[in-house]
Amino acid sequence: MTTETQIETQPEKATIIVKRIDFKMITFTLAGKDYGVDIMRVKEIRKANQFTHVPNTPIFVRGVDNLRGEIIPIIDLRMMFNLPAERRDETELENIIILRVGEIVLGIIVDTIEKVVGISKDTIQPPHPIFGDINVKYISGVVENEGRLYIILDVDRIFTQNKEERAAQAPQTAPLAEIPAPSIPEAAEELNLRFFIETLATFAGFHVSPLNQDWVRNRASEWEEKRRSAHQEVQITSEADAREFLSSFYSPDTDRLWDPTSAKNLVSGLDLGQQGQILVWNPGSGRGTEAYSLAAALKWVHPARPYKIWANDKDLLNISSAPSLSFARDQVPEEYLPLMTETKTGWQFTGEVKSHILFEFHDILHLNPYDNLQLIVVRDVLSFLDVNDQNRLIEEFYDKLRPGGYLLLGKNEKLGHDFTGFREVEGFNQRLYRKKE
Amino acid sequence: MRVEYINPFVEAAYNILREVLSEEVKRGILYLKSSTNPVKGVAAIVGLAGEVEGRVLFDMTKSTALKIASKMNDEDLLDWDDLARATITELANLITAQAVTKLHDLGFRFDLTPPALITGENMEMYDDYKDETETLIVPMETSFGPVEINVAIRERNRN
Repeated sequence: MTTETQIETQPEKATIIVKRIDFKMITFTLAGKDYGVDIMRVKEIRKANQFTHVPNTPIFVRGVDNLRGEIIPIIDLRMMFNLPAERRDETELENIIILRVGEIVLGIIVDTIEKVVGISKDTIQPPHPIFGDINVKYISGVVENEGRLYIILDVDRIFTQNKEERAAQAPQTAPLAEIPAPSIPEAAEELNLRFFIETLATFAGFHVSPLNQDWVRNRASEWEEKRRSAHQEVQITSEADAREFLSSFYSPDTDRLWDPTSAKNLVSGLDLGQQGQILVWNPGSGRGTEAYSLAAALKWVHPARPYKIWANDKDLLNISSAPSLSFARDQVPEEYLPLMTETKTGWQFTGEVKSHILFEFHDILHLNPYDNLQLIVVRDVLSFLDVNDQNRLIEEFYDKLRPGGYLLLGKNEKLGHDFTGFREVEGFNQRLYRKKE
Repeated sequence: MRVEYINPFVEAAYNILREVLSEEVKRGILYLKSSTNPVKGVAAIVGLAGEVEGRVLFDMTKSTALKIASKMNDEDLLDWDDLARATITELANLITAQAVTKLHDLGFRFDLTPPALITGENMEMYDDYKDETETLIVPMETSFGPVEINVAIRERNRN
């Protein structure tokens, strides 16, 4: 017995001592710190200077360079990450790593290029916020080698992300920019639309953006027609007007229990894996009807699975009444009744159902401590946030969802083309997106 | 912030302040905050640990603190001395303890740390905790001046 175990353990030990090298990186320095990039992303290394300056580019784009006939952009990583850069003589050659990121070839300027280091993938540790110089989301890991700590940059993320970010910034002006400027004679329709955009923000806090502009355009023409034929002012001049304008915006079953069949269809159509707890986040849950409907649907479709719904809202009154929300009998579709009990104030969900939902007084614009989610239900919430916040939150949703997780938006909301990490899931009569795996 | 946590703190603050000051106090509008807090002058901090973790901060100006301490001791305290400090610490303890008792009754289990008192001019509270948890502000109006109660708590295991 003893000899056998000895023989078995011997080879294992050997593999630990001989480190398996399955990841090679080019190491370089930026402002005195050591960094690495995956060697598979590196096309070549060269020294060059006097790049051709390109006007109207971000400050970190030093210009373009001619790489044997191919024109490639040159990016100064120090500038990009706001690190101190040594002032160099114009004639001095810069150290450049030429990267291939997807289809793009580009050069990055670094302080010094060190060497190729081979490491074992297992020794890479997850990034830690302590490396404050560079945003953690651009770091794929940290590894120690021969007494030096290397920060491995996720170049795919840095350069594709940047494209996304620029795209995300663009929509802020997009809805207005798409409409001709006032100096150019413009159609009355477009002028009205511009007024609608402004008055909706003023009176209803509704922000027109790529998320909802298609609906706003359609609604605007419908609205104009209706108002004209009734000989009423077309412009939105009060909160009441704005409310009426938006009355057809809201998703079905807003502020009441969802139609049981469509709730069931939705949940049974989701691929939520085979086991483990199902985690759902429902920001802007208002009085809690959405959270209760989801809880019921999860119970019907996955009776044996544990699940948890984080429901929050920044309206204190609504959210604090949510845990004890009662319904009149005629507000409750028959299917929900087995999950409810009758109380003095009306019909309430049972304690068992409630134990799966956590109602929180929380502002979605603050830090959102949710992670690893399978479903985010955020219907008709984003449209009432500032355009920048909309975009920031959609990116945050992406980060917080598991691969293959779902995002449910309002019926009249849709993601712009910039959010390539999601694909739309058809056939639910709801606006459902899935995070690409 | 779970909605169940909110009321116990609001009620406790209201009950205790009304009792120790023997006057009507008014509650301002509750709101949420995610940034760092300037501290008015006197801050008593009580930590919570257990199933729920976080801290509760009682914030007021020094003159409000002195007046409240005077009232509570039924004598005119002129200096910010040991007695005044002990009184404000006790006030923080009373309010937090009552809130925690209410939360215990609702089934949340956790303990308190002894209050710590911090005083000074132009202070700001930088708290790592604030980066992760938003703070509920419960403003209370007394005839001696405002007392702000900042509650930052969360569940230990969120998932």
